[in-house]
Amino acid sequence: MALLTLDSVNTYYGRSHILFDVSLAVEKGEVVALLGRNGAGKSTTFRSIIGLTPPMSGEVRFKGEKVNGLRAFRICRRGIGFVPEDRRCFPDLTVRENLEVAVRREKNTVDPWTVERVYALFPRLQEREKNLGSQLSGGEQQMLTIARTLMTNPEMLLLDEPSEGLAPLVVALLADMILQIRKEGVTVLLAEQNLNFCAKVSDRGYVIDKGSVKYEGTMKNLLADDEVKEKYLAV
Amino acid sequence: MAAFFDVSFLTVQVLSALRQAAFLFLISSGLTLVFGVLNILNFAHGSLYMLGAYFIYALTLHLTGPAGFVIALLAAPLGVALVAVVIEMGLLRRIYIQEEIYQLLLTYALVLIIHDMAKIVFGPEFKSIPKPRAIGGAVTIFGGTVPVYTLVVVVLAPLVALLLWYLLYRTRTGKIVRATSSDREMADALGINMSALFTLVFAFGAMLAGFGGALAGPARTVFPSVGTEVIIECFVVVVIGGLGNLWGALVGSLLIGTLETVGIIVFPEFEMSFIYLLMVVVLILRPWGLFGRPLKVKALAEKNLGMEAQEISPVHFSVRPLVRMIPLVLLLIVPLFAGRYYQYLLTQILIASLMAVAFNLLLGTTGLLSFGQAAFYGAGAYTVGLLATKTGIGSLSSLLLAPLVAMVVAGIIGFFCIRLSGVHFAMLTLAFGQLVFAIIYKWYNFTGGDNGIQGIPVRPLPGGIDIGSNLSMYYFALAAVAVAVEILRRIRSSPFGATLKAIRENNQRAEYLGVNVKLYQWTAFVIAGAFTGLAGGLYALMEKSISPDIILWTKSAEPVLMTIIGGIYSFAGPAVGAVVFIVLNSYLVAWTENWALVLGLILLAMVLMLPGGAVGFVNEKARGAFGKMGWVRRWAFSKSGAS
Ligand SMILES: Nc1ncnc2c1ncn2[C@@H]1O[C@H](COP(=O)(O)OP(=O)(O)OP(=O)(O)O)[C@@H](O)[C@H]1O
Ligand SMILES: [Mg+2]
Repeated sequence: MALLTLDSVNTYYGRSHILFDVSLAVEKGEVVALLGRNGAGKSTTFRSIIGLTPPMSGEVRFKGEKVNGLRAFRICRRGIGFVPEDRRCFPDLTVRENLEVAVRREKNTVDPWTVERVYALFPRLQEREKNLGSQLSGGEQQMLTIARTLMTNPEMLLLDEPSEGLAPLVVALLADMILQIRKEGVTVLLAEQNLNFCAKVSDRGYVIDKGSVKYEGTMKNLLADDEVKEKYLAV
Repeated sequence: MAAFFDVSFLTVQVLSALRQAAFLFLISSGLTLVFGVLNILNFAHGSLYMLGAYFIYALTLHLTGPAGFVIALLAAPLGVALVAVVIEMGLLRRIYIQEEIYQLLLTYALVLIIHDMAKIVFGPEFKSIPKPRAIGGAVTIFGGTVPVYTLVVVVLAPLVALLLWYLLYRTRTGKIVRATSSDREMADALGINMSALFTLVFAFGAMLAGFGGALAGPARTVFPSVGTEVIIECFVVVVIGGLGNLWGALVGSLLIGTLETVGIIVFPEFEMSFIYLLMVVVLILRPWGLFGRPLKVKALAEKNLGMEAQEISPVHFSVRPLVRMIPLVLLLIVPLFAGRYYQYLLTQILIASLMAVAFNLLLGTTGLLSFGQAAFYGAGAYTVGLLATKTGIGSLSSLLLAPLVAMVVAGIIGFFCIRLSGVHFAMLTLAFGQLVFAIIYKWYNFTGGDNGIQGIPVRPLPGGIDIGSNLSMYYFALAAVAVAVEILRRIRSSPFGATLKAIRENNQRAEYLGVNVKLYQWTAFVIAGAFTGLAGGLYALMEKSISPDIILWTKSAEPVLMTIIGGIYSFAGPAVGAVVFIVLNSYLVAWTENWALVLGLILLAMVLMLPGGAVGFVNEKARGAFGKMGWVRRWAFSKSGAS
């Protein structure tokens, strides 16, 4: 059974219909890419999963249980961690405080993420522990938002365009970290426009355009499929 | 000036400024905290302060002695917090998904309700609260005599500030509160239960207000309208400091406390104007306050806490011109058979309708909530009043000048206000309105100050038509209002009006499409101001006397209430609301002491149950019913014109 499944999800912003029957599945332990151009509907898919923009119809199942209809904080507590695009760390809180607010105490996870463990993964954050969120560089903010979400002990991470606007060196670093996080047992769904970045970290990919899924398959097949790349991805 | 360097005098003044700042901080810290997390500017926060003062009054009737006083001082805020929990869970929670104006109005309804409830329970008179003897006396510091209680207040407030700092910066819940004020959606996605946090913060903010009230009660006195007096001051404090920012509230309180104290000594006549002037200056220089930063415009989806957003249905058909004439014909005939009192009442309704319809060009059409329309109403009324009493100019000419003067005033005020949006816009218009009020109230030589202007002569129109009688005044007002309303209707359905609606729906998109959003908003503001001025001018002619009361912010609230009662998304809504408002007002005032309570309950019901207003509701029903009776629809309505 897949860890996360979307079944014919339709989502609206007010009156505008954005997602059309989006279906996808992510198995435990995978890193799956969700590729698409600007405005394709990647973020909306994530917002539908986490419950910030609940789908109008269709079903989102996590670990076999229906989660759409639950409020965002409940979905988070079920084990889905959402890392939004444009790095929304809390600007008025220090790096450490950003991490502390996300700690979930009631959960009895075997090996919970702690501030120390997160610092081990992102040593740069420890150096900047006392700085405010607003004082960090783009790359540091991206690390902080990922680290902060890890503090909720998610079984699955939704990463929305983590590589956007980062220097190539930082992007490479980020790829390593995603692989590391996967090793820690976290499943990842990754929204991206950057095909090369996905090629490095993910096994399978979905291509979404104008709110519906146009392609699904292994990254290898996708990389070889020039038609899809040309039509739906700005390559 | 020599007195300024007298140490004893200085000591007394500094302490009195600090005491004032202390009270302001206790109240506004809660206000700003609640705004930061819930994004609601709570009009009823002053009423919670008032409850704190009444609770300590009631408690000290039974609990005497120093220990009793301390217990009462601590129990009163807890009682207020309890009231707040009921308000949040029972009322506010239902409308978080609505636009912010509905939240603002719900809290305004609470102001009206709590005010009258306090009057019913505790009586309308001033109550004073005895202090225990230990802190009831006075001491001499540097030769100045200072009440001991002032020292208690001046010591306790910083302690509360310290406690707040500790809670916000050293506890996990406090950190969550700070995180939520900067990004509510993110906090939600990180597993934080917003509903629980909202209740907690609202109750805590109320407790601070209650503590302020309990502490201020024995120093000041308490009566039912202290709530409305104190809330405006606190708005000024938090807006100057930056909405949602605690340090802003602290600095704002110190500034206003000092300014009020200095103002009384140096320019006693203009004391009131100072704080509004300061607010205006600060907002012009720093639109988001000293410590504030621009609020992101919250999309509905972002506010929506996982609930389905309720759509307020706009009207989808417009009434045929012929059918539109029916009310006009009625308005022409009915007064002939009505008594003089009813003629007067109908004139009032006409004027109120014009004010409300003009206001709705801002709210319903452009999406701007102005809380300062009374300034333009007053500008129009005083133009007519002053011209009529100081010159020999005819009534018609003075009436025609009223909208022009109001237009200039609106042009200036609007220039500064349209730079802001949402609650900030509402607060700045309110501040400007109060500034205009303060100027007219204090400028005795020119405006007659608080005496107003009596005996405004009504001179015949050109051609010798007399408008001195109630009936002729009615027809005169009807002609003026009919023309004005028709112009407003045409503006609303013109391409210009369509652009305004596009701005209301999504001003960013309008901007992308190349619309100069600010220019359009400013123009709408000026047009609304001009017609409000016309209404004010008519009022002066009808009443033949005016007083500065017509410029008070509570007057600005009237068109808002009428519009909400009638419905903001239809052209006729505000006029219908005006009829309901004026009729209720004149009957209930004669009938019950508690007119505010009734109005508050009506407003509460409208906000909770009929956010589309009465006309929106009727339209909704009519659409269903007329769908079955196609002939009625064909006869009465022309093709659908969206919203
Ligand atoms: N709050 C909103 N209200 C209305 N429409 C929206 C909103 N947010 C996004 N949209 C629209 O929904 C569509 C999908 O947007 P979405 O943000 O999901 O795309 P995306 O694939 O994440 O793009 P990007 O790569 O730019 O982040 C776009 O057409 C966008 O204009
Ligand atoms: Mg996106």
